[in-house]
Amino acid sequence: MSDQSHLPAWREQSLGRRLFLQVSAASAASAALVVAGCSSSTPTPAADTNQIALPQGNKGLLYYAYLLALAKSTTYQKVVDSPPGDLPAAERAIFADMRDHEVVHRETLKYLIDPTRATALFPADFAFSLTRFTLTSRAGVLAAALQLEDLAAAAYPVILPFFNSTNAYARALLLKMSTVLARHAATVRDLLTPGSFANGTVVDASGQLITKTPTEVLTALAPFWTPYVLSITCPDTSPSSDPGLCTANG
Amino acid sequence: MKLISLLDHLAATPASSSAAPRRDVLAQLGRAAVAALPLALGALPAAAATQDSTLDAVLQLLQLERLQAALYTQGLAATGLIPAAQTADFQRLLSHQSQHIAFLTQTVQGAGSTVPTAPTFDFSGRRNAAANPELFPAVFTNYDNFLALAQQIEDLGVRLYQNHVFNIVSDFRLVRAVLRMQSVEAQHSAHVRGLRRSRGATVSNWPSDKDTVIARPAAAQALTAAATGGEANVLQPVSVSTTLPSASIFLVRDNTAVQDAALAEAFDEPISTAVAQAALNLFF
Repeated sequence: MSDQSHLPAWREQSLGRRLFLQVSAASAASAALVVAGCSSSTPTPAADTNQIALPQGNKGLLYYAYLLALAKSTTYQKVVDSPPGDLPAAERAIFADMRDHEVVHRETLKYLIDPTRATALFPADFAFSLTRFTLTSRAGVLAAALQLEDLAAAAYPVILPFFNSTNAYARALLLKMSTVLARHAATVRDLLTPGSFANGTVVDASGQLITKTPTEVLTALAPFWTPYVLSITCPDTSPSSDPGLCTANG
Repeated sequence: MKLISLLDHLAATPASSSAAPRRDVLAQLGRAAVAALPLALGALPAAAATQDSTLDAVLQLLQLERLQAALYTQGLAATGLIPAAQTADFQRLLSHQSQHIAFLTQTVQGAGSTVPTAPTFDFSGRRNAAANPELFPAVFTNYDNFLALAQQIEDLGVRLYQNHVFNIVSDFRLVRAVLRMQSVEAQHSAHVRGLRRSRGATVSNWPSDKDTVIARPAAAQALTAAATGGEANVLQPVSVSTTLPSASIFLVRDNTAVQDAALAEAFDEPISTAVAQAALNLFF
Protein backbone atom coordinates (compact mmCIF):
# COMPACT_ATOMS: atom_id res chain seq x y z
CA MET A 1 0.00 0.00 0.00
CA SER A 2 0.97 3.57 -0.48
CA ASP A 3 2.72 5.04 2.47
CA GLN A 4 3.74 8.64 2.48
CA SER A 5 5.21 8.50 5.95
CA HIS A 6 8.64 8.78 4.45
CA LEU A 7 7.98 12.41 3.70
CA PRO A 8 9.94 13.91 6.56
CA ALA A 9 7.89 17.00 7.23
CA TRP A 10 4.63 15.10 7.24
CA ARG A 11 5.53 12.37 9.63
CA GLU A 12 2.73 12.51 12.12
CA GLN A 13 3.87 14.25 15.21
CA SER A 14 2.94 13.28 18.70
CA LEU A 15 0.33 15.90 19.27
CA GLY A 16 -1.06 14.11 22.28
CA ARG A 17 -3.54 16.26 24.06
CA ARG A 18 -1.90 19.45 22.99
CA LEU A 19 -4.09 22.41 22.31
CA PHE A 20 -5.71 22.17 18.94
CA LEU A 21 -5.81 25.86 18.69
CA GLN A 22 -2.38 27.25 18.28
CA VAL A 23 -1.27 30.77 18.29
CA SER A 24 0.50 31.34 15.09
CA ALA A 25 4.16 31.67 14.53
CA ALA A 26 3.42 33.86 11.59
CA SER A 27 4.77 37.31 12.04
CA ALA A 28 3.32 39.19 9.08
CA ALA A 29 0.45 40.69 10.97
CA SER A 30 -0.57 42.98 8.16
CA ALA A 31 -1.19 40.22 5.65
CA ALA A 32 -4.73 39.08 5.12
CA LEU A 33 -3.48 35.54 5.01
CA VAL A 34 -0.24 34.31 6.36
CA VAL A 35 1.28 31.17 5.04
CA ALA A 36 4.23 29.97 6.96
CA GLY A 37 5.92 28.83 3.79
CA CYS A 38 7.60 25.66 2.75
CA SER A 39 10.32 25.66 5.34
CA SER A 40 10.18 24.67 8.93
CA SER A 41 10.54 27.53 11.32
CA THR A 42 10.66 27.71 15.03
CA PRO A 43 7.33 28.93 16.41
CA THR A 44 7.53 32.17 18.26
CA PRO A 45 4.83 33.66 20.45
CA ALA A 46 2.39 35.71 18.46
CA ALA A 47 1.21 39.09 19.44
CA ASP A 48 -2.10 38.84 17.60
CA THR A 49 -4.53 36.33 19.05
CA ASN A 50 -6.60 36.44 15.87
CA GLN A 51 -3.86 34.49 14.11
CA ILE A 52 -4.73 30.80 13.94
CA ALA A 53 -2.12 28.35 12.70
CA LEU A 54 -3.51 24.96 11.81
CA PRO A 55 -1.61 22.08 13.40
CA GLN A 56 1.18 20.52 11.38
CA GLY A 57 0.88 17.08 9.84
CA ASN A 58 -2.23 15.11 9.04
CA LYS A 59 -4.22 16.75 11.82
CA GLY A 60 -3.81 20.11 10.13
CA LEU A 61 -5.23 18.65 6.92
CA LEU A 62 -8.27 17.44 8.85
CA TYR A 63 -8.73 20.96 10.20
CA TYR A 64 -8.44 22.29 6.66
CA ALA A 65 -11.10 19.88 5.38
CA TYR A 66 -13.24 20.75 8.40
CA LEU A 67 -13.08 24.44 7.47
CA LEU A 68 -14.34 23.68 3.96
CA ALA A 69 -17.24 21.65 5.33
CA LEU A 70 -17.98 24.39 7.88
CA ALA A 71 -18.11 27.01 5.13
CA LYS A 72 -20.53 25.01 3.01
CA SER A 73 -22.72 23.72 5.82
CA THR A 74 -23.10 27.26 7.16
CA THR A 75 -24.07 28.55 3.71
CA TYR A 76 -26.50 25.75 2.91
CA GLN A 77 -28.09 25.89 6.35
CA LYS A 78 -28.99 29.50 5.60
CA VAL A 79 -30.40 28.52 2.18
CA VAL A 80 -32.49 25.77 3.76
CA ASP A 81 -33.72 28.02 6.58
CA SER A 82 -34.48 31.04 4.37
CA PRO A 83 -34.68 29.90 0.75
CA PRO A 84 -34.95 32.67 -1.82
CA GLY A 85 -38.41 32.94 -3.34
CA ASP A 86 -37.17 32.16 -6.83
CA LEU A 87 -35.42 28.92 -5.84
CA PRO A 88 -37.69 26.11 -7.12
CA ALA A 89 -38.73 23.32 -4.79
CA ALA A 90 -36.65 20.74 -6.66
CA GLU A 91 -33.54 22.85 -6.17
CA ARG A 92 -34.37 23.49 -2.51
CA ALA A 93 -34.37 19.73 -2.10
CA ILE A 94 -30.92 19.54 -3.66
CA PHE A 95 -29.64 22.16 -1.22
CA ALA A 96 -31.26 20.29 1.68
CA ASP A 97 -29.38 17.16 0.59
CA MET A 98 -26.11 19.04 0.20
CA ARG A 99 -26.58 20.71 3.60
CA ASP A 100 -26.93 17.24 5.10
CA HIS A 101 -23.84 15.90 3.32
CA GLU A 102 -21.80 18.86 4.53
CA VAL A 103 -23.01 18.42 8.10
CA VAL A 104 -22.05 14.74 7.91
CA HIS A 105 -18.61 15.66 6.58
CA ARG A 106 -18.10 18.44 9.11
CA GLU A 107 -19.05 16.32 12.11
CA THR A 108 -17.10 13.34 10.81
CA LEU A 109 -14.00 15.50 10.45
CA LYS A 110 -14.57 16.93 13.92
CA TYR A 111 -14.70 13.39 15.24
CA LEU A 112 -11.53 12.43 13.39
CA ILE A 113 -9.73 15.43 14.85
CA ASP A 114 -10.88 14.69 18.39
CA PRO A 115 -12.97 11.55 19.06
CA THR A 116 -13.81 12.81 22.54
CA ARG A 117 -15.22 15.98 20.99
CA ALA A 118 -14.39 17.66 24.28
CA THR A 119 -12.22 20.43 22.91
CA ALA A 120 -13.46 23.36 20.90
CA LEU A 121 -11.58 23.40 17.60
CA PHE A 122 -11.81 27.17 17.21
CA PRO A 123 -12.71 30.19 19.38
CA ALA A 124 -16.37 30.44 20.32
CA ASP A 125 -17.00 33.37 17.98
CA PHE A 126 -15.15 31.81 15.04
CA ALA A 127 -17.63 31.53 12.15
CA PHE A 128 -18.00 31.57 8.40
CA SER A 129 -19.46 34.95 7.50
CA LEU A 130 -22.25 35.01 4.93
CA THR A 131 -22.31 38.78 4.47
CA ARG A 132 -20.31 38.60 1.25
CA PHE A 133 -22.91 36.37 -0.39
CA THR A 134 -26.32 37.34 -1.74
CA LEU A 135 -28.40 34.45 -0.50
CA THR A 136 -31.73 36.18 -1.18
CA SER A 137 -31.86 35.20 -4.85
CA ARG A 138 -31.40 31.94 -6.75
CA ALA A 139 -28.56 33.46 -8.75
CA GLY A 140 -26.81 34.57 -5.57
CA VAL A 141 -27.24 31.19 -3.91
CA LEU A 142 -25.87 29.34 -6.94
CA ALA A 143 -22.94 31.74 -7.28
CA ALA A 144 -22.02 31.23 -3.63
CA ALA A 145 -22.38 27.46 -3.91
CA LEU A 146 -20.33 27.36 -7.10
CA GLN A 147 -17.45 29.22 -5.49
CA LEU A 148 -17.40 26.94 -2.45
CA GLU A 149 -17.93 23.65 -4.27
CA ASP A 150 -15.28 24.35 -6.90
CA LEU A 151 -12.82 25.23 -4.12
CA ALA A 152 -13.54 22.10 -2.09
CA ALA A 153 -13.43 19.79 -5.10
CA ALA A 154 -10.10 21.33 -6.11
CA ALA A 155 -8.69 21.00 -2.58
CA TYR A 156 -9.05 17.30 -1.88
CA PRO A 157 -6.82 15.75 -4.59
CA VAL A 158 -3.95 17.85 -3.24
CA ILE A 159 -4.21 16.82 0.40
CA LEU A 160 -5.21 13.16 0.13
CA PRO A 161 -1.75 11.82 -0.82
CA PHE A 162 -0.29 13.40 2.30
CA PHE A 163 -2.22 11.18 4.68
CA ASN A 164 0.17 8.52 5.94
CA SER A 165 -0.66 4.91 6.74
CA THR A 166 -1.12 5.78 10.40
CA ASN A 167 -4.15 7.71 9.28
CA ALA A 168 -5.44 5.17 6.74
CA TYR A 169 -8.97 5.25 8.14
CA ALA A 170 -9.20 9.01 8.00
CA ARG A 171 -7.70 8.92 4.51
CA ALA A 172 -10.28 6.36 3.36
CA LEU A 173 -13.13 8.53 4.65
CA LEU A 174 -11.76 11.67 3.02
CA LEU A 175 -11.39 9.76 -0.24
CA LYS A 176 -15.05 8.75 -0.05
CA MET A 177 -16.01 12.37 0.63
CA SER A 178 -13.86 13.77 -2.18
CA THR A 179 -15.98 12.36 -4.99
CA VAL A 180 -19.19 13.49 -3.32
CA LEU A 181 -17.75 17.00 -3.34
CA ALA A 182 -16.96 16.63 -7.04
CA ARG A 183 -20.58 15.56 -7.55
CA HIS A 184 -21.73 18.68 -5.70
CA ALA A 185 -19.57 20.87 -7.90
CA ALA A 186 -20.96 19.35 -11.10
CA THR A 187 -24.52 19.60 -9.75
CA VAL A 188 -24.22 23.28 -8.90
CA ARG A 189 -22.46 24.03 -12.20
CA ASP A 190 -25.30 22.38 -14.12
CA LEU A 191 -27.93 24.26 -12.10
CA LEU A 192 -26.25 27.56 -12.88
CA THR A 193 -25.55 26.77 -16.54
CA PRO A 194 -26.82 23.44 -17.92
CA GLY A 195 -23.93 21.47 -19.39
CA SER A 196 -21.21 23.42 -17.57
CA PHE A 197 -20.18 20.38 -15.48
CA ALA A 198 -16.47 19.55 -15.70
CA ASN A 199 -15.87 22.23 -18.31
CA GLY A 200 -12.61 23.91 -19.20
CA THR A 201 -12.82 26.19 -16.16
CA VAL A 202 -12.27 23.29 -13.79
CA VAL A 203 -10.75 20.50 -15.93
CA ASP A 204 -7.47 20.76 -17.85
CA ALA A 205 -6.54 19.48 -21.31
CA SER A 206 -5.53 16.13 -19.83
CA GLY A 207 -9.03 15.52 -18.53
CA GLN A 208 -7.86 16.07 -14.97
CA LEU A 209 -9.45 18.32 -12.40
CA ILE A 210 -7.56 21.57 -11.89
CA THR A 211 -6.52 21.56 -8.25
CA LYS A 212 -5.80 24.27 -5.74
CA THR A 213 -3.26 24.29 -2.95
CA PRO A 214 -4.23 24.96 0.66
CA THR A 215 -2.60 28.36 0.25
CA GLU A 216 -4.83 29.21 -2.71
CA VAL A 217 -7.95 27.91 -1.01
CA LEU A 218 -7.31 29.67 2.29
CA THR A 219 -6.54 32.88 0.44
CA ALA A 220 -9.86 32.68 -1.39
CA LEU A 221 -11.71 32.06 1.85
CA ALA A 222 -9.72 34.50 4.00
CA PRO A 223 -12.29 37.34 3.88
CA PHE A 224 -14.99 35.03 5.23
CA TRP A 225 -13.24 34.29 8.54
CA THR A 226 -12.67 37.88 9.60
CA PRO A 227 -11.31 38.86 12.09
CA TYR A 228 -9.45 35.55 12.26
CA VAL A 229 -6.49 34.87 10.02
CA LEU A 230 -5.70 31.25 9.21
CA SER A 231 -2.41 29.77 8.16
CA ILE A 232 -1.21 26.31 7.24
CA THR A 233 2.36 25.12 7.03
CA CYS A 234 3.61 23.52 3.85
CA PRO A 235 5.80 20.46 4.15
CA ASP A 236 9.32 20.39 2.84
CA THR A 237 9.38 19.51 -0.81
CA SER A 238 12.84 18.07 -1.05
CA PRO A 239 12.17 14.67 -2.71
CA SER A 240 12.01 15.21 -6.45
CA SER A 241 9.20 12.67 -6.74
CA ASP A 242 7.07 14.64 -4.29
CA PRO A 243 5.29 17.61 -5.86
CA GLY A 244 4.55 18.90 -2.40
CA LEU A 245 1.44 20.12 -0.68
CA CYS A 246 1.97 23.62 -1.96
CA THR A 247 2.15 22.55 -5.59
CA ALA A 248 -1.10 22.10 -7.46
CA ASN A 249 -1.66 20.08 -10.61
CA GLY A 250 1.73 18.40 -10.21
CA MET B 1 9.18 1.63 6.25
CA LYS B 2 12.51 0.67 4.77
CA LEU B 3 11.11 -0.62 1.50
CA ILE B 4 9.16 2.49 0.80
CA SER B 5 12.14 4.62 1.71
CA LEU B 6 14.19 2.69 -0.79
CA LEU B 7 11.56 3.29 -3.45
CA ASP B 8 11.58 6.94 -2.68
CA HIS B 9 15.32 7.05 -2.86
CA LEU B 10 15.21 5.40 -6.25
CA ALA B 11 12.53 7.79 -7.38
CA ALA B 12 14.72 10.72 -6.41
CA THR B 13 17.72 9.34 -8.27
CA PRO B 14 18.23 11.10 -11.59
CA ALA B 15 17.47 8.80 -14.50
CA SER B 16 20.49 7.95 -16.61
CA SER B 17 18.84 8.34 -20.00
CA SER B 18 15.08 8.70 -19.76
CA ALA B 19 12.40 8.16 -17.19
CA ALA B 20 11.37 4.83 -18.64
CA PRO B 21 13.99 2.52 -17.11
CA ARG B 22 13.53 4.08 -13.70
CA ARG B 23 9.80 3.69 -13.87
CA ASP B 24 10.24 0.10 -14.96
CA VAL B 25 12.26 -0.58 -11.86
CA LEU B 26 9.76 1.21 -9.70
CA ALA B 27 6.87 -0.72 -11.17
CA GLN B 28 8.54 -4.03 -10.40
CA LEU B 29 9.55 -2.91 -6.95
CA GLY B 30 6.05 -1.68 -6.36
CA ARG B 31 4.78 -5.17 -6.93
CA ALA B 32 7.39 -6.58 -4.57
CA ALA B 33 6.67 -3.97 -1.94
CA VAL B 34 2.98 -4.82 -1.85
CA ALA B 35 3.73 -8.50 -1.46
CA ALA B 36 6.23 -7.82 1.29
CA LEU B 37 3.95 -5.82 3.53
CA PRO B 38 1.27 -8.17 4.84
CA LEU B 39 1.35 -6.60 8.27
CA ALA B 40 0.76 -3.12 6.95
CA LEU B 41 -2.04 -4.39 4.75
CA GLY B 42 -3.66 -6.14 7.66
CA ALA B 43 -4.01 -2.84 9.46
CA LEU B 44 -5.90 -1.16 6.64
CA PRO B 45 -9.60 -0.93 5.91
CA ALA B 46 -10.81 -4.06 4.16
CA ALA B 47 -11.93 -2.20 1.05
CA ALA B 48 -8.43 -0.89 0.48
CA ALA B 49 -6.57 -4.06 1.31
CA THR B 50 -6.20 -5.60 -2.12
CA GLN B 51 -3.14 -7.18 -3.63
CA ASP B 52 -3.07 -5.06 -6.75
CA SER B 53 0.22 -3.73 -7.95
CA THR B 54 0.49 -0.29 -9.47
CA LEU B 55 0.54 -1.86 -12.92
CA ASP B 56 -2.54 -4.00 -12.26
CA ALA B 57 -4.37 -0.92 -11.03
CA VAL B 58 -3.47 1.21 -14.03
CA LEU B 59 -4.38 -1.53 -16.50
CA GLN B 60 -7.82 -2.01 -14.99
CA LEU B 61 -8.45 1.73 -15.03
CA LEU B 62 -7.37 1.76 -18.68
CA GLN B 63 -9.91 -0.94 -19.48
CA LEU B 64 -12.62 1.07 -17.72
CA GLU B 65 -11.74 4.23 -19.65
CA ARG B 66 -11.75 2.35 -22.94
CA LEU B 67 -15.21 1.00 -22.13
CA GLN B 68 -16.50 4.49 -21.36
CA ALA B 69 -14.95 5.97 -24.49
CA ALA B 70 -16.49 3.22 -26.62
CA LEU B 71 -19.92 3.85 -25.10
CA TYR B 72 -19.80 7.55 -25.94
CA THR B 73 -18.21 7.00 -29.35
CA GLN B 74 -21.01 4.63 -30.35
CA GLY B 75 -23.64 6.81 -28.72
CA LEU B 76 -22.53 9.91 -30.59
CA ALA B 77 -22.45 7.91 -33.85
CA ALA B 78 -26.01 6.60 -33.39
CA THR B 79 -28.36 8.74 -35.48
CA GLY B 80 -31.13 10.36 -33.49
CA LEU B 81 -30.03 9.02 -30.12
CA ILE B 82 -28.57 12.03 -28.30
CA PRO B 83 -30.63 15.24 -28.49
CA ALA B 84 -28.82 18.09 -30.24
CA ALA B 85 -28.80 20.17 -27.05
CA GLN B 86 -26.78 17.49 -25.27
CA THR B 87 -24.37 16.48 -28.03
CA ALA B 88 -21.71 18.80 -26.61
CA ASP B 89 -22.08 17.16 -23.18
CA PHE B 90 -21.24 13.75 -24.56
CA GLN B 91 -18.46 15.12 -26.72
CA ARG B 92 -16.94 16.46 -23.51
CA LEU B 93 -17.39 13.11 -21.77
CA LEU B 94 -15.73 11.32 -24.69
CA SER B 95 -12.95 13.88 -24.77
CA HIS B 96 -12.13 13.36 -21.09
CA GLN B 97 -12.19 9.57 -21.41
CA SER B 98 -9.89 9.75 -24.44
CA GLN B 99 -7.50 12.00 -22.49
CA HIS B 100 -7.52 9.54 -19.60
CA ILE B 101 -6.77 6.70 -22.02
CA ALA B 102 -3.83 8.64 -23.41
CA PHE B 103 -2.50 9.38 -19.92
CA LEU B 104 -2.86 5.81 -18.65
CA THR B 105 -1.35 4.40 -21.86
CA GLN B 106 1.66 6.68 -21.47
CA THR B 107 1.97 5.60 -17.85
CA VAL B 108 2.03 1.90 -18.75
CA GLN B 109 4.46 2.40 -21.63
CA GLY B 110 6.62 4.67 -19.51
CA ALA B 111 6.95 1.80 -17.03
CA GLY B 112 8.33 -0.37 -19.83
CA SER B 113 5.19 -2.47 -20.02
CA THR B 114 3.03 -3.26 -23.03
CA VAL B 115 -0.48 -1.91 -23.38
CA PRO B 116 -2.91 -4.74 -24.14
CA THR B 117 -5.03 -4.54 -27.29
CA ALA B 118 -8.44 -3.01 -26.66
CA PRO B 119 -11.29 -5.52 -26.81
CA THR B 120 -14.29 -5.05 -29.10
CA PHE B 121 -16.92 -3.75 -26.72
CA ASP B 122 -20.49 -4.97 -27.06
CA PHE B 123 -23.03 -2.91 -25.09
CA SER B 124 -25.91 -5.33 -25.68
CA GLY B 125 -24.52 -7.69 -23.06
CA ARG B 126 -24.23 -10.46 -25.66
CA ARG B 127 -20.45 -10.40 -25.35
CA ASN B 128 -19.96 -10.39 -29.12
CA ALA B 129 -21.91 -13.65 -29.59
CA ALA B 130 -25.35 -13.37 -31.16
CA ALA B 131 -26.55 -16.51 -29.42
CA ASN B 132 -26.14 -14.94 -25.98
CA PRO B 133 -29.14 -13.23 -24.39
CA GLU B 134 -29.41 -9.47 -24.68
CA LEU B 135 -28.88 -7.91 -21.24
CA PHE B 136 -29.02 -4.22 -22.17
CA PRO B 137 -31.68 -3.64 -24.84
CA ALA B 138 -31.85 -0.67 -27.21
CA VAL B 139 -28.87 1.13 -25.71
CA PHE B 140 -28.22 3.03 -28.95
CA THR B 141 -31.82 3.57 -30.04
CA ASN B 142 -33.47 4.56 -26.75
CA TYR B 143 -31.94 7.61 -25.05
CA ASP B 144 -33.21 6.68 -21.59
CA ASN B 145 -31.64 3.23 -21.89
CA PHE B 146 -28.40 4.84 -23.04
CA LEU B 147 -28.39 7.24 -20.10
CA ALA B 148 -29.14 4.49 -17.59
CA LEU B 149 -26.18 2.45 -18.83
CA ALA B 150 -23.96 5.54 -18.88
CA GLN B 151 -24.90 6.31 -15.27
CA GLN B 152 -24.04 2.82 -14.09
CA ILE B 153 -20.73 2.76 -15.93
CA GLU B 154 -19.78 6.21 -14.61
CA ASP B 155 -20.66 5.19 -11.06
CA LEU B 156 -18.60 2.05 -11.53
CA GLY B 157 -15.75 4.26 -12.66
CA VAL B 158 -15.81 6.50 -9.59
CA ARG B 159 -15.83 3.50 -7.29
CA LEU B 160 -13.06 1.68 -9.15
CA TYR B 161 -10.81 4.75 -9.03
CA GLN B 162 -11.43 4.87 -5.27
CA ASN B 163 -10.32 1.27 -4.99
CA HIS B 164 -7.09 1.86 -6.84
CA VAL B 165 -5.89 5.28 -5.67
CA PHE B 166 -3.84 3.95 -2.81
CA ASN B 167 -2.85 0.74 -4.58
CA ILE B 168 -0.42 2.93 -6.46
CA VAL B 169 2.86 2.83 -4.63
CA SER B 170 6.03 4.80 -5.07
CA ASP B 171 4.68 7.31 -7.57
CA PHE B 172 3.32 10.40 -5.87
CA ARG B 173 2.51 12.18 -9.12
CA LEU B 174 0.54 9.24 -10.43
CA VAL B 175 -1.50 9.10 -7.22
CA ARG B 176 -2.41 12.72 -7.61
CA ALA B 177 -3.27 12.31 -11.30
CA VAL B 178 -5.53 9.38 -10.45
CA LEU B 179 -7.25 11.48 -7.78
CA ARG B 180 -7.79 14.27 -10.29
CA MET B 181 -9.24 11.87 -12.89
CA GLN B 182 -11.44 10.32 -10.22
CA SER B 183 -12.94 13.73 -9.47
CA VAL B 184 -13.71 14.22 -13.16
CA GLU B 185 -15.43 10.81 -13.25
CA ALA B 186 -17.56 11.90 -10.31
CA GLN B 187 -18.57 15.07 -12.17
CA HIS B 188 -19.52 12.91 -15.16
CA SER B 189 -21.69 10.69 -13.02
CA ALA B 190 -23.41 13.65 -11.38
CA HIS B 191 -24.15 15.14 -14.79
CA VAL B 192 -25.55 11.95 -16.33
CA ARG B 193 -27.70 11.48 -13.24
CA GLY B 194 -28.97 15.03 -13.65
CA LEU B 195 -29.82 14.36 -17.31
CA ARG B 196 -31.86 11.34 -16.27
CA ARG B 197 -33.69 13.37 -13.63
CA SER B 198 -34.52 16.04 -16.23
CA ARG B 199 -36.21 13.26 -18.23
CA GLY B 200 -38.37 12.14 -15.33
CA ALA B 201 -36.27 9.52 -13.58
CA THR B 202 -36.21 9.54 -9.79
CA VAL B 203 -32.50 9.90 -9.26
CA SER B 204 -30.13 12.16 -7.34
CA ASN B 205 -26.79 13.51 -8.53
CA TRP B 206 -25.17 11.07 -6.08
CA PRO B 207 -25.99 7.45 -5.30
CA SER B 208 -28.96 7.51 -2.92
CA ASP B 209 -31.45 5.19 -1.32
CA LYS B 210 -34.07 7.58 -2.69
CA ASP B 211 -33.12 6.66 -6.29
CA THR B 212 -35.34 4.31 -8.27
CA VAL B 213 -33.27 1.18 -8.92
CA ILE B 214 -32.34 0.63 -12.58
CA ALA B 215 -33.98 -2.70 -13.50
CA ARG B 216 -31.58 -5.29 -14.89
CA PRO B 217 -31.93 -9.02 -15.60
CA ALA B 218 -30.27 -11.46 -13.21
CA ALA B 219 -27.38 -12.01 -15.61
CA ALA B 220 -26.56 -8.28 -15.51
CA GLN B 221 -26.57 -7.89 -11.74
CA ALA B 222 -22.77 -7.71 -11.79
CA LEU B 223 -23.15 -4.24 -13.26
CA THR B 224 -25.64 -3.13 -10.62
CA ALA B 225 -23.36 -4.47 -7.90
CA ALA B 226 -20.40 -2.56 -9.33
CA ALA B 227 -22.35 0.66 -9.89
CA THR B 228 -24.21 1.04 -6.61
CA GLY B 229 -23.87 -2.14 -4.54
CA GLY B 230 -23.00 -1.23 -0.96
CA GLU B 231 -23.73 2.47 -1.43
CA ALA B 232 -26.32 2.25 1.35
CA ASN B 233 -23.52 1.62 3.84
CA VAL B 234 -23.85 3.77 6.95
CA LEU B 235 -21.08 2.15 8.98
CA GLN B 236 -17.90 4.06 8.30
CA PRO B 237 -14.78 2.53 9.90
CA VAL B 238 -12.67 4.91 11.97
CA SER B 239 -10.36 2.24 13.36
CA VAL B 240 -9.80 -1.47 13.01
CA SER B 241 -12.65 -2.22 15.40
CA THR B 242 -14.91 0.83 15.51
CA THR B 243 -17.18 2.77 13.19
CA LEU B 244 -18.22 6.38 13.24
CA PRO B 245 -20.62 6.73 16.21
CA SER B 246 -23.35 8.35 14.16
CA ALA B 247 -26.00 8.03 16.85
CA SER B 248 -24.07 10.34 19.16
CA ILE B 249 -22.86 12.76 16.47
CA PHE B 250 -25.92 13.61 14.40
CA LEU B 251 -28.41 15.11 16.83
CA VAL B 252 -31.47 17.33 16.53
CA ARG B 253 -30.32 19.06 19.72
CA ASP B 254 -27.14 20.26 18.03
CA ASN B 255 -28.73 20.95 14.63
CA THR B 256 -26.55 18.18 13.27
CA ALA B 257 -29.43 15.83 12.48
CA VAL B 258 -29.66 14.74 8.85
CA GLN B 259 -32.13 12.89 6.64
CA ASP B 260 -31.86 9.11 6.85
CA ALA B 261 -30.47 8.81 3.33
CA ALA B 262 -27.83 11.50 3.81
CA LEU B 263 -25.43 9.51 5.94
CA ALA B 264 -24.88 7.01 3.12
CA GLU B 265 -25.03 9.66 0.38
CA ALA B 266 -22.23 11.65 1.99
CA PHE B 267 -19.71 8.87 1.24
CA ASP B 268 -19.07 7.16 -2.08
CA GLU B 269 -18.05 3.55 -1.56
CA PRO B 270 -15.12 1.87 -3.31
CA ILE B 271 -15.58 -1.49 -5.01
CA SER B 272 -13.09 -4.30 -5.17
CA THR B 273 -11.06 -5.17 -8.23
CA ALA B 274 -13.05 -8.40 -8.62
CA VAL B 275 -16.48 -6.77 -8.40
CA ALA B 276 -15.45 -4.20 -10.98
CA GLN B 277 -13.96 -6.80 -13.31
CA ALA B 278 -17.11 -8.92 -13.20
CA ALA B 279 -19.04 -5.90 -14.49
CA LEU B 280 -16.44 -4.93 -17.10
CA ASN B 281 -16.51 -8.51 -18.41
CA LEU B 282 -20.19 -8.11 -19.38
CA PHE B 283 -19.14 -5.90 -22.28
CA PHE B 284 -16.60 -7.98 -24.21
